[in-house]
Amino acid sequence: MSVFSQLNIINVSGLTKRVNTFEGELTILSDINFAVKSGESVAIVGASGSGKSTLLSLLAGLDVATQGEIILDSEPLGEMDEEQRAQLRAEKVGFVFQSFMLVQSLTALENVMLPAELAGDKNAKQQAIDLLEKVGLSHRLEHYPSQLSGGEQQRVAIARAFIGTPKILFADEPSANLDSKNGHMIEKLLFDLNKQNGTTLVLVTHDEQLAHQCDRIIHIEGGKLETIREGEAANVG
Amino acid sequence: MWVKLALKLFSREFQRGELSIIFAAIALAVLTVFSLSSVTERIGLNIEQKTSDFIAADRRLSSNHAISPEILEHGKALGLQTAKMIYFDSMLFANDELVLGSVKAVSNTYPLRGEVTLKDSLDGQPYEIRGAPEVGQLWLSEGLFYSLGLKVGDSVELGAGNFIVGKVLVSEPDAPFFSLAGNRRVLLNYEDIAATGAVQPGSRVFHRLLFAGEEQLLSEFYTWLKPQMKANQTWQGVKDRQSPLGDNLMRAERFLLLAGLFGIMLAAVAMAVSAKRYCERQYDPVAMMKTLGGSRSVIRNIFLLHLSLVTGFSILVGLLIGFVLQHIGADYLAKFMDAELPAAGFRPWLISIFIGIVCALMFSLKPLLDLFDIPPLRVLRRNLGDQLTLSRLHVGLSLVTIFLLMWMFSAQLVTTLILFGSTLLVIAVLFALSRLIFSAGRKLGLSPGSSWSLAIATLQKRANANAIQLISFALAIKLMLFLVVLKNDMISDWQMQVPEDAPNMFLINIAQDEVQPLTSFFEQHNITHEDFYPVFNARVDSINGEELERRVSQQEGEQEQKDENERRGVNREPNLTWLSQLPQGNEITEGEWFSNNTVDGRIEVSVFEGWKEQLDLELGDTVGFLVNEQRFEAVVTSFRSVDWGSLKPNFVMILSPNMAGQIPVTYFSAAKLEDKHTKAISSMLQQYPTISMIDIKSRLEQAQSIIAQVSLAIGFVLAIVLISGALVLVSQVQASLAERMQEVVILRTLGAKGKLIKLATLYEFLLLGAIAGLVAAIVSDIALLIIQQQLFDVAGKMHPYIWLLGPLSGAGFVSVIGYFMVAKTMRQNTQGLLRKIA
Repeated sequence: MSVFSQLNIINVSGLTKRVNTFEGELTILSDINFAVKSGESVAIVGASGSGKSTLLSLLAGLDVATQGEIILDSEPLGEMDEEQRAQLRAEKVGFVFQSFMLVQSLTALENVMLPAELAGDKNAKQQAIDLLEKVGLSHRLEHYPSQLSGGEQQRVAIARAFIGTPKILFADEPSANLDSKNGHMIEKLLFDLNKQNGTTLVLVTHDEQLAHQCDRIIHIEGGKLETIREGEAANVG
Repeated sequence: MWVKLALKLFSREFQRGELSIIFAAIALAVLTVFSLSSVTERIGLNIEQKTSDFIAADRRLSSNHAISPEILEHGKALGLQTAKMIYFDSMLFANDELVLGSVKAVSNTYPLRGEVTLKDSLDGQPYEIRGAPEVGQLWLSEGLFYSLGLKVGDSVELGAGNFIVGKVLVSEPDAPFFSLAGNRRVLLNYEDIAATGAVQPGSRVFHRLLFAGEEQLLSEFYTWLKPQMKANQTWQGVKDRQSPLGDNLMRAERFLLLAGLFGIMLAAVAMAVSAKRYCERQYDPVAMMKTLGGSRSVIRNIFLLHLSLVTGFSILVGLLIGFVLQHIGADYLAKFMDAELPAAGFRPWLISIFIGIVCALMFSLKPLLDLFDIPPLRVLRRNLGDQLTLSRLHVGLSLVTIFLLMWMFSAQLVTTLILFGSTLLVIAVLFALSRLIFSAGRKLGLSPGSSWSLAIATLQKRANANAIQLISFALAIKLMLFLVVLKNDMISDWQMQVPEDAPNMFLINIAQDEVQPLTSFFEQHNITHEDFYPVFNARVDSINGEELERRVSQQEGEQEQKDENERRGVNREPNLTWLSQLPQGNEITEGEWFSNNTVDGRIEVSVFEGWKEQLDLELGDTVGFLVNEQRFEAVVTSFRSVDWGSLKPNFVMILSPNMAGQIPVTYFSAAKLEDKHTKAISSMLQQYPTISMIDIKSRLEQAQSIIAQVSLAIGFVLAIVLISGALVLVSQVQASLAERMQEVVILRTLGAKGKLIKLATLYEFLLLGAIAGLVAAIVSDIALLIIQQQLFDVAGKMHPYIWLLGPLSGAGFVSVIGYFMVAKTMRQNTQGLLRKIA
């Protein structure tokens, strides 16, 4: 393993994803190559159907590539089975989704505790309370998702994403389901926590403004990597 | 760690009502099976005990030859209760009068079941006891007191012996339903048989051994007895054919069994629906947990623990409710039946727990496996995993499980096959119907861009969802219709056998010149009565000119044995009559009933089909009869089935009407007497002392009370099945609530008024219910036709009224339940609903 790849927390080479459809084989992603440095924030942008969500799912080990290699924190995903990938996610990965994906039967606090509990962490509760306080929901600990507003639900999801201090955070259109005020609040929270924890952030969005807050922007078009450019954060940072 | 999480999730899911459907379904299965099997077992035991009274035992061994004492000894050694009986006819003599009595000599243990009703004097109060007359005493039926001018305490000669008249014999539990000797009954102690001198080699004597005890001992005894039973010995229980009410009892038992099967089937449907729904609702949380790093084994453990908890808890609750229900039901029945219901054994507990566990496992296995297979990618691609929902394996597994459960519960393959087959037919018909909508949609959908495309797309989507609902609605309605119709048919069939105005008194031995005064007497006292039938006794002595006794004695060896077996009963002297109309409850099975013009004035005879084999008869055979010294012949022109279960007088042989005037006869009639007629009747009997009266009032009341009990039991069972059916509908509607909520939100958001949505929902349920009801009615009727013929031995008939009842009750039932469940949803505001479905 080269020194270069050791510095990169995500290393993608020759990544291709094909699926079988009624009309024959369809190539969703074709020969994608890039790397993400530890602590970096990267936005994946592109039009609908360009393949950006598929790329995210492959990076997070939720799906497997047809060809090529992904190395996540020195671990080659292609050589792991589903259980090992789940274990990897439990230890190193956090998620924020467009549709929040909270478990409806659990309270805000319990939703935040869930990943830690699944990983067998006995100290989950205090961590979760602290995180909910950081996202400004200390007064909503015992509320169920249906009792929270959209913005509040996404803040719970962000708190959940940071429990267990993951090395990498994947976010899929985190503010797309929210109004602009709540959307901005969520984005700010995400970047702040990211910086505080030194987490690597991989963000899928079609929102150019949001993308520009990242260090780098990867542009996907028709399943191919078009450009990689620097965002505003890189210039500031 | 996962246990804590699993318990937390379980308690939350439970509180949120997510598990309530699955919980209710298992509890429903358990409580249905438990209450049905325990109530039917308790009622069954009681009915069996009651009907055992009819033969004064649980089983009896009858023969016209002496039975080896070893048999009785073996029964005793096994721990069975036993009693001995001998029947014979003998002359009674007192006050210069001579009457032929029908004597039954019984041992002191008689009767093993039921009671003998006695009176201390002719005008005394009847009371019931168990036991035989003391040695040296006789108990005589009332008729004999009048004919011989006796009173209690007088002395009477029976055969060669001299006896004291001890009591007035009102009824015996095992008296024949209809016997021409009914009013000349004599009960004697077994020890006194020798004193009468009536039982000699060659005399006509019938021997019986009675047995009572636990079913297992009885069957053990029968296994020992069977290989050594002689051809002239028969082993009978209450349920055997030709025993009064045996048929009805068997039908009732089968009905209760059937109802139990339906209970299981309905619960299984509820279970299968709710298990699938529950698992589907867990797709997102499972995908989320997998994404967050939850391993497959942790997730599997969590949901298996949920299943065990919900199964255990619901079985417990099911048993508890079932126990209370059956207790209340049985208490009520016991009060109504005026009898202690015997406690049910362990079987209901075991079978219901077993069925609860099997239901939970088999119906949730495939949905759970699907759930464990949900890919974590679902968090990004929301519909991933949804295609798993219509799994053939789940349907197949559920069907096999239902079939096996039904088979196990009923132990009757044919019944299970018919029910299961007809159910599959409902599913097939409804599936084809929904496919039809599908393909119609495809054809129309060829014009892209038309507004039809959207409508048809919606229709297609709904067709699938509705087909599933339709199938379970139709299934529930089918099972309910089926039971309702069967219950009505069966009960009306019984009531026809024992109608309210059935005669309760038979009058026999009426001389020709007494017919007229008796008719006037009936008219004068406003007593309804039946026609006067001519009756005479004759001995069947030849067939096709061959004298039976000689033929038998001339042959030797095996052939002789065969002939004797084949023509068993040749010594019997049946009661004969002539009739121009085929009596009620009789059906011609072969040949034709008498026409008005008989060939050359020959006499014809219609024979009970059971005697066809016994006497080796064919159509066209000539049967010779001997009446006193007079001989005549009749040609067999038909064979008849006879409903021995009915309380009508039945004849083994009926002669053609041209027999009239050729033979001296007495007449027979039946009347419905009320208490107010007692005095007039006894003065009439004193005026015509030769007329005998057989009181079957108590027998009739006994029969009617058993029918009432069984009807009530059936009603109770039906109520439980109806509740189960309603719960299936509730679970089905509840399962579709989420989708409905979404629709309500969309419609509300688009500005639809509440009234419009409510009406649309109501119409939808009305239509769904009506279609389901119609299909259910059609299929039930076909299944009923088969079931009635195959299982209940009654003529199957179509029931046009259920073709109307099905759709109407379906529409009513489904729309009321559906509407009230959905109405709750509609009362919530749109914002609340939006959050719920988010």
